[in-house]
Amino acid sequence: MTSVVVTGRGAVAPVGSGADAVFDALLAGRGAINEEGIAPCAAFDPEQAMTPKEARRADRFTQFAIAAADEAAAEAGIDTEGAVEPSRLGVVIGTGVGGLTTMQEQVLTWAKEGDRSVSPLFVPMMMPNAPAGHIAMRLNAHGPGFSVASACATGSHAIGEAKRMIERGDADVVVAGGTEAALVGVCLAAFRRMGALSREGISRPFDARRDGFCMGEGAAVLVLEREEHAKARGAKVLARLLGYGASNDAFHITQPEENGRGAADAMTAALRDADIAPGDVGYVNAHGTSTPFNDRIETVAIRRVLGSDGPPVSSIKGHIGHSLGAAGAIEAVACVDALRRGAVPPTVGLEQIDPECEADHVAGAPRELPDLGVALSNSFGFGGQNATLVLGAA
Amino acid sequence: MATQQEILEAIRAELTAIKVPDADTAQPETTWEELDVDSLDLVELVKALEDRFDVQIADPDLKGIASVGDAIALVERLQGATA
Repeated sequence: MTSVVVTGRGAVAPVGSGADAVFDALLAGRGAINEEGIAPCAAFDPEQAMTPKEARRADRFTQFAIAAADEAAAEAGIDTEGAVEPSRLGVVIGTGVGGLTTMQEQVLTWAKEGDRSVSPLFVPMMMPNAPAGHIAMRLNAHGPGFSVASACATGSHAIGEAKRMIERGDADVVVAGGTEAALVGVCLAAFRRMGALSREGISRPFDARRDGFCMGEGAAVLVLEREEHAKARGAKVLARLLGYGASNDAFHITQPEENGRGAADAMTAALRDADIAPGDVGYVNAHGTSTPFNDRIETVAIRRVLGSDGPPVSSIKGHIGHSLGAAGAIEAVACVDALRRGAVPPTVGLEQIDPECEADHVAGAPRELPDLGVALSNSFGFGGQNATLVLGAA
Repeated sequence: MATQQEILEAIRAELTAIKVPDADTAQPETTWEELDVDSLDLVELVKALEDRFDVQIADPDLKGIASVGDAIALVERLQGATA
């Protein structure tokens, strides 16, 4: 049985850049949702991670992913020649929607000025696999590379599929994560028209007053590695990726089934993959979007799988909103740090627990869990696609 | 008819606009390879030169164009053809 470990982390989030800085903010309950009800990565400067020409040729979602991957690769020590045989290094970076900034801008230009004004950079900037391509060039990764897409479950699917890639023997090391930069007019309008966004502009997962999510943006990347490979090169193991489970609701394109079946299936499959019992889970990092549907039905699923006396639960979407395809990856990085530090962040905005969302919620302040050994992270996407990751202490 | 200097300045300006390093000091003998200018950069440069000097640059015209000086000569030739 191949064990997969985490040897590097990187994150760009509305509360800051850098995995440690992001987790510090999460633990402190520091949020970044502005008065417009969105959470931009306002301080992000792409030219700190790449040249002006590289930045100009990369959509914002790619810029985020490059910054996160650079950080993760440096921590793992795979950014130097010879650390990994190039053909054994893969890159899987998911996105929910791809380069929407470029898409919107170029469609407007095309409609106004015609074919000749469309940028030759449009396709390489907009395509969902652009981040994986750029990161592969930077790290000289010759192994498998591509994007995955499952809306809000993307980040978890990307990390889970990277685990499978290592288990299948297709790669020894995979740079995996999710990225999103969709705070773009047409996209915000669309989510608003669906009724998915909070009208009040407040993200408060599991709270009785919740009325939708707040959109965020960002990226996170993990360096996943076959344990023996990590040991052989003396890499520090930060955590273990114990399990991955995925499922389909096969019910409705945006709405989960009331009985939580699809979510529960993903959680159950992840526990089976990790070969652990429900009682071993010490913390749930919930999908917890702050929509009326998700939080109620996720609670049903958590109870179905982990019991009514389940472990502590929190969602970081109260801090940073919902970053769609990046969310699962940022949450996986948060779980790695929760395991390392023995503490979990509170759900910001959760003050009046919805009776239909009863659980051992971490709210108001972070919680010390010094013996935390296993964390479970849920991600559920429009399209009815679900992914759960199980992470273990190093 | 634009002068060679005007065309050189226009090339420098466009390459600078698309963030090509050291484009502002490019000389006629500077090659695309030295500037790390690739095919995507050239598409943007061609459009800028077409707009600025009222010429049409077809794909076959770009064959063998490997330096700033080659591009200057091409624009001059096309301007002469339309004059």
